[in-house]
Amino acid sequence: MASGTVDETVETTPSERHNDGEDLEKSNSGVRYILTQIHKDTSATIGLYVILFVVAVAVFASIDYYIFDYAFAERFLYHPERDAAGGQRLLPPVGMESIYGPGVIEHPLGTDHRGRDIFTRMIYGTRIAITAGFAATSIGLVGGTVIGAVSGYYGGKVDDLLQRFTEALYAIPFLVLIIAFMTAFGRDVTYAMVGVGIVSIPVFNRLIRSRVVSVREKEYIAAAKVAGAKDYQVILYHIIPNSFSPVLVQATLQIGVSILIIAGLSFLGFGAQPPTPSWGQMLAESRDYMLPAPMYSVWPGLAILITVFAFNLLGDGLQDALDPRIEN
Amino acid sequence: MSLRGGFPVSLIRYVGSRIIQSVPVLFIIVLVTFLLTNQIPGDPVSIFLSPGASPELIAEVQARYGLDRPLHERFIAYLFGVVQGDLGYSIHYGMPVTEKIIERLPITVFLTTCAFAFAIAISVPLGVISAKRRNKPTDHISRIVSLIGVSTPSFWIGLLLIIIFSFYLGLFPATGLVLPWADPETVRGAETRLDILRLSIHHAILPTIALGTLQMAQITRIERSSMVESLREDYVLLARAYGFPERTILRKHAFRAAQLPVLTIIGLGLSTALGGAVLIETVFEINGMGRLIIQAINNQDYELVMGTTIVFGVTYVVGVIVTDVLYAYVDPRVQYGGEE
Repeated sequence: MASGTVDETVETTPSERHNDGEDLEKSNSGVRYILTQIHKDTSATIGLYVILFVVAVAVFASIDYYIFDYAFAERFLYHPERDAAGGQRLLPPVGMESIYGPGVIEHPLGTDHRGRDIFTRMIYGTRIAITAGFAATSIGLVGGTVIGAVSGYYGGKVDDLLQRFTEALYAIPFLVLIIAFMTAFGRDVTYAMVGVGIVSIPVFNRLIRSRVVSVREKEYIAAAKVAGAKDYQVILYHIIPNSFSPVLVQATLQIGVSILIIAGLSFLGFGAQPPTPSWGQMLAESRDYMLPAPMYSVWPGLAILITVFAFNLLGDGLQDALDPRIEN
Repeated sequence: MSLRGGFPVSLIRYVGSRIIQSVPVLFIIVLVTFLLTNQIPGDPVSIFLSPGASPELIAEVQARYGLDRPLHERFIAYLFGVVQGDLGYSIHYGMPVTEKIIERLPITVFLTTCAFAFAIAISVPLGVISAKRRNKPTDHISRIVSLIGVSTPSFWIGLLLIIIFSFYLGLFPATGLVLPWADPETVRGAETRLDILRLSIHHAILPTIALGTLQMAQITRIERSSMVESLREDYVLLARAYGFPERTILRKHAFRAAQLPVLTIIGLGLSTALGGAVLIETVFEINGMGRLIIQAINNQDYELVMGTTIVFGVTYVVGVIVTDVLYAYVDPRVQYGGEE
């Protein structure tokens, strides 16, 4: 949990007030409501557009990787046949000069220790960061929602047992827990996603549980029960949709956190294995060349910072926009 | 009840009950670590036997390390060892795991403590100022800075600090850490206690900033929102109505009540910071617990991996108990069992 948690004491959110009593006409108007709220907040809007841009880059990189086998990259980003530097190693960015020579326009951000174009590798690193961020958060979201909803809805012993166990599991600092988990199962980025997903379960668990406990006694839940709804239907169709906005805020922030953790893991060698480029792994490789090629260490970190910052900007903006108690 | 007159008996009892409560947690830490390590592919025996070893030899080594016994028996044996402080034997270092950890743990604890001291020293005043000047330029700047702080990877900050302050400016060393209580005879370039202290500060500054920035940003954000809320409370309004000077209101009325959420976030941040220590120790090549666990994994030294993971968990649990006790100390409403 590197970012702030959502205030859990929010009594009613606009989307809930919308739904209270009348049943679910949520999804469409809910999304539209959220979008208009985002547009009112400048920083959230900036965050949203930066995220859309980064996601677009990731989609481009994935399509190129899976379908065209880097054909686009070679055509548009980097032209080996026209490369004046001829894959020279550790070139500085354009406009700078180092002991390895001046920067060349074919490599706008310079080259790495094997003469590979840093800019192109960064574009392909986006793929790992975005996929891993979204996948890990989805795992945490689903797991946390299920555990939190069951635990909050039934209360009593089930609640005690589930909460104690999750609490105990997270007594191991999460990065160490993920490292132990990946040592046991595998070092690849897939396990990193699963590991980060598992450690983000308690974030959503706590959030959903507190929402469920506060919503449980509402009249429309009683009404649904009287109407013959089963427990799982009550949870699935009434309680979860009504916790939508705080969960959305937390999920946005959590994607940023996941990207940070996954970058840290790749930095330690637990994540995308070479030659697949990822930002964390690029930073790890740059460590050996900090003295002759300092800018090599700057770019991938900047990419992480901008991406995570955008998610935090959007998450913060959403929180302000969806929380009626804050008047700014 | 007032706690201002020192530590009363009930507080000691509270600490005791917190320790007892953490026993199941510690049990689960050991269980999870044991199961995970047991899941590691590859036979531990094969690490120290040549591929052509005879089946008898393999069986003998397995029996010596108890690997021929069923899982639950091995777990119980391991658990008994852990309770007695025996975490097994490190194949790579050729010494008991406990000894190795005792050597490394103080470094990580020192680094984490420095990081929190740095974070709190900067974030608390920053958060208070930000709350006081809400929606003014100072507040906006502090909010953006703290948002950038929570978005920046700590290890990248470490790399940048090394490039700027070690390589270009040559102000601080890029690697290593010296403990302030180290023996002058064991440290190169130090003769007196003063030298040690100087070296220690010199080495600690960059890793402290790298590890502490995230916590600083986090605490600033919480401190700000907590103070904003606290300044809106009725008792603050009342104090204003009585005409107390704004400084007094800020210090005596609003501040203390606003520190509870901050303590909570520090407790949670401890997990992040201990994990972050793994990264920062790698960046600065500091021989603490974090680097130890990575080296143990790379050396396939599994008893050491188990031991370090468990000790990381225990360190966190102890840290949380300390914050809980502080919480009880700050918040007189916390009832720690027993009589009022």
